[in-house]
Formats: sequence, structure tokens, C-alpha cells
Amino acid sequence: MTHWHVEGLEADLDHFHLGPVNLDLAPGKAVAVLGPSGAGKTTLLRTLAGFLPTRRGRIARDGVDIAEWPPESRGLGYVPQGLGLFPHRTVERNVRFPLEMHERPDATVRTRELLERFHLTELARRYPRRLSGGEQQRVAIARAMAADPDLLVWDEPWQALDVTARYELGLVLHDLRVAEKVPVVVVTHDPGLAFSVADTFLVLRSGRVRGQYTAPELLTHPPDAFLARFVGFDNVLERPALDADGSELGRWLRARAGPEGIAFPAPPPGPVSGEGTTWEGRLRRARPDPTGLVLEVTAGELMLTLRRPPPWSTPWPQVGDVVRFRLAEATLQPLGGTPRGPGAAG
Amino acid sequence: MGGDDPGLTSGTPSGVPRRPAFRSGPYWLALQVVLSGSLILLFLLPIVALFTYAPLSRIFEEWQNADVRAALALTLYASGVAVFAAIVLGIPLGYLLARRSFPGRSVLESFVALPVVIPHLMVGLGLFLLVLPGSFLYHVTQALGAPVYDTVWGVVLVMTFVSAPYTVLASMLAFRAVDERTVEAARSLGARPADAFLTVTLPMASRGIVAGLLLTWARAVSEIGGILILAQVVYPGGIYNGPVTTTLSVYIYNLFNQGDLADAAAVSSLFLLVAFAVFILVRLAERWGWLPWRRGELAP
Repeated sequence: MTHWHVEGLEADLDHFHLGPVNLDLAPGKAVAVLGPSGAGKTTLLRTLAGFLPTRRGRIARDGVDIAEWPPESRGLGYVPQGLGLFPHRTVERNVRFPLEMHERPDATVRTRELLERFHLTELARRYPRRLSGGEQQRVAIARAMAADPDLLVWDEPWQALDVTARYELGLVLHDLRVAEKVPVVVVTHDPGLAFSVADTFLVLRSGRVRGQYTAPELLTHPPDAFLARFVGFDNVLERPALDADGSELGRWLRARAGPEGIAFPAPPPGPVSGEGTTWEGRLRRARPDPTGLVLEVTAGELMLTLRRPPPWSTPWPQVGDVVRFRLAEATLQPLGGTPRGPGAAG
Repeated sequence: MGGDDPGLTSGTPSGVPRRPAFRSGPYWLALQVVLSGSLILLFLLPIVALFTYAPLSRIFEEWQNADVRAALALTLYASGVAVFAAIVLGIPLGYLLARRSFPGRSVLESFVALPVVIPHLMVGLGLFLLVLPGSFLYHVTQALGAPVYDTVWGVVLVMTFVSAPYTVLASMLAFRAVDERTVEAARSLGARPADAFLTVTLPMASRGIVAGLLLTWARAVSEIGGILILAQVVYPGGIYNGPVTTTLSVYIYNLFNQGDLADAAAVSSLFLLVAFAVFILVRLAERWGWLPWRRGELAP
């Protein structure tokens, strides 16, 4: 079992600067790297894997700095975006590839085990282009595991996968982490699977670490608008738009917002009685989803989302109808301010 | 294009309008057929002329002719060496251009294509001047036991010069088309750079490279301009131990100059058959499986 420490890692790619990044990867730990496009997620992964030179800092594997080592010696399973399966090799020979490279005498036996374990035996003689997205993912995992990696590094594992395949892959990754204690670093845009696989969330923005968070931290205090949207807050109002609104609701929200804005889950629509101010908006669109009826409402200049719980059969409000709602102070999350979390490196 | 488009106006008997079939106007279609057809005729008719000028049995007779066989053998042999040189020297250059960035790369890239656009008589002249008796390279080639004038080396030299660019350019494009991330995956799985090249990059680029080699070969065997200057007659020596002969292109050119049109046509036809056979073999190999993972891709 290997313990990885990334300390003050910095890298440059053309005019892009990444870092410094600090990461502690104990056996069995999984980190999801989050951030908008261009935040440096792939750059971080490629630096860890050895495809971009480290400008400063250490990548320590059990205390040994491997930052200068070539990719093939790092003992790290890197799965690039698009999986990087070898189109000219069958499934079996894809999985066998790392064993051949390491000249393992048990290559045949080990390949057969891995094919069986990832339910690929039937597909062993097929070429990757004849496989479904989910099957290709399983090949990628089996191949990465064949090298007995001390760390699994995966870029956008769920790209272009249908819902079922995503769910399955989430389970497989989770089991790997629990059973094999291989630490995992994944880059993803998918919150559901990030939460199902990772226990720590490293947030990047423009190449800098915005912070490191646990799931509860991220859900209760999303540090910025991107993350608030990422974790699924229905209403994320950013500063410029919020400031531009002259309505009373706008003033009320501004008073409770952080430097970057404010986020809150969808409130239920009225009729409302009891304490607190009741606000009004006009319905712009209504659409059903499994959690109920989602109402998109304009209030002043602001667009808000409300959610009416099932049943869906109750008559839907019409476009233009006035919808009343109330905002509970406890649900409001100011955005911005000082990042929280242990690894919030500067 | 007068008249109503029947697809738009006519209905089915029940009165439900039929969806109009997509059609282009007849004149537009005719124009395309006439223009494309003209060019195809231009390609086809000279070949037909070659095969029909002399009776077909003449082709078989030429095949029995020892002089023709010697010329054909030399041509295939020298072009084979030129293709080998293109493989050994051209593929690495293609890889360099595709995968490394260095100052002046785009200049080098244009420069590599230069032999394609230089008239070939000038290629021969340039090489002739380069190894002029008394020059440095003349002494070098003599010392190496590989003199160039009127030897197989001269033929190979010209052929390589005019044909290797096709291998360089084709392999450059083929290497560029290989997803870098696939190669990175291989590296991360334990492949050293050379392993990754041999096990991943090269196989993935192989189809484009083979297409380039085919063009290289075709260009090499059809070369005449440079050969006329540098090695019009080929004497045995070096890697060639056959009789005194010429390349097939020069052989046919000589027949033509002597006014022997029937033989010129028959030998040309014979050579065309050989060239077709090579093309068809490579195509079939591609279709039936030397790249199994591509199987089916060429099917319509």
C-alpha cells in the first residue's frame, strides 16, 4: 500500500501556470478534481503522470520524490480523456499490454483473471471500436489495473457514457478503492458520480487551488457559484446580476449574499402564511421532473427556480401566472469569502 | 428546367401528397456527368490505346524476351531499394515533423515537398553536377565502391530523391492522426518511448504509411527524367549483378525513339499489368486483413 504526497506542485504549459497544489493521498483515498474548463484539471493529471515537467514541488511516493521520473516508472495508472484504448489490439491484448511491458511471466493467467473480473471474457477477441461505451470503460479499468498501479489517475471517466454505464462504473471504481486500497484521482464534471466515488474534492480555478473540501463542506458551504451549481443548488445568483436588480427581493438577497453572490435550493411555491416575507414572481416555464414540478419564475430582473412536490396531476400553473413563495433564511448560502477546508493552499 | 417538379405536385390516388424525392435538375446532373466523364476518358483512353495497338499475344512475347525481363527486373529491384530507403529514412523524418516542435519546422516541412515539384530532368542534372568527377562526393562514392554514373546506385539515387517525399509526407500525416493520449496511456502502462512507438504509434499509423509507400513505389518505377541523365544504361556492379540493361522506362523510351511503336506499346502494357497487380494486391491485403482492426471500414 502506497501513500502519496503532492507538495507544492507547480507546472507550466505554454502560458498557463498550475499550482501550487498540495494533495495527501492515503491508501484507499479518492480525490475528485473539480473546476470549470481551463482550470488546469487535465494539466494537473498529466503532471502527476509525468507528461508535463514539474516546475517546482514534490510528488512523493512513500517518501520518494518521483517528480523527475519518466511516466513508465511512476507506477501510476493514467487513463486519459477518451480512454486511450489501443484500436489495433483486441480487448485481451489491450489488457495484456502492461503485463507485456513489464515482462511478467504470469501475463496469460493474470490477463484471464482480469478479463473475468471485469466481465470481459466474452469480448476478449473483439476490437475496442466494436464495444459499447461502458464496455470500453471496463477495458480501460482492467488494463490500468493490470499494471498493478499504486495510484489510479483518470481524466473524465464518465464522458459519453449513458446513465446505466455511469452507475456501473461508479460502483466499480468504488469497489476498487475499498477492496484494493488504491488511491484514486479523477477529474469529472459529473457531481453525482464525484460524490459516489470521491471523499475529497480539490477545486481548481485558473490553475490555482481554490480549496479542498469534503462532501458535507461542499454541500453546505459551496465556496463559489461554479461549485454551487456543480453540487446542484437550483438558485445561484452571481454578483453582477444580483447587483443590477432594483426590486425589493433583490435588495433583500443582496443583504444576505457573499462577495460572489448567493445560492439556495428551490423553495416550494405558495400559498404562504406565517412568518417571513412573501415574494411574488411570474411563471415563465414549468417542467416536471422526478422531484416534482419545477417552476421557473421571474421576480424583478431575477430568474428563480421553485419546486412543487408531487403529485404532478394537480393542475399546473400557466405561463404568466403569479406565483408566491417564501425564502427561509437558513437555506441561503452566501458565496465567496475565505475558502474553507484543510488543504486550501495559497 | 421548365415544367413542374412532379415530385412536388403529384399526389397519391387518395390525395395525400407524396414526399418529394430529392432530385437535382437534369441539366446539372448532365453537366457533372459530362465534365467528370471527360476526365475519366482522358485517363482511360491512352491505356486502351496501349493495350490495343499491338495484338495481346505480343505482350506475352515481350514477357519471354530476355532484354525486357532484365529491364523489368532492374526496375523492380531498384524501386524496391528506393522504397526500402524511404522506409528507413523517410518514416523517421515523417515522425520528426509530426511529433517534435522545433524552430524552422514548417520551413523543413515545405522543403521536404520540394522534390515533388522540381522537374525531374533538373533533379538528374543536379545530382549529375553533385557527383561530377573530381568533386568531393565523387571521391566518396568511389571510395565506398558505389559509383553513381550508369550504375544501379544512380537509378536508386534518382528514384529515392523523387519518390521518398511521398513517404515522408504520408507518414507525417499518419503520425499526426495518432491520438497523443493513446500513446500517453501506453507510456503510463509501462512502455518506454521506443516501445510505445513500436507497439502503438507505428501500428496505428501503418495504413497511412503504406498508402505513402505505394505512392513512393509508383513514383519510383515511373521515373525517367533523372535516370536519363544519371544512369541511362546500367552496368553490373555493386548490388546489381545482372546483364547490362536500362530501367523499363528508358527501355520503352528507346523503343519509341527507334520508331518501334508496337514493341513500345506491348512492353508498356506488360509493365502496366505488373503495376496493376501490385496495387490490387495491396488493396486486397488492406481489405482482407493486414489491418484486422480496420476490417469493415472500407466496406460501403
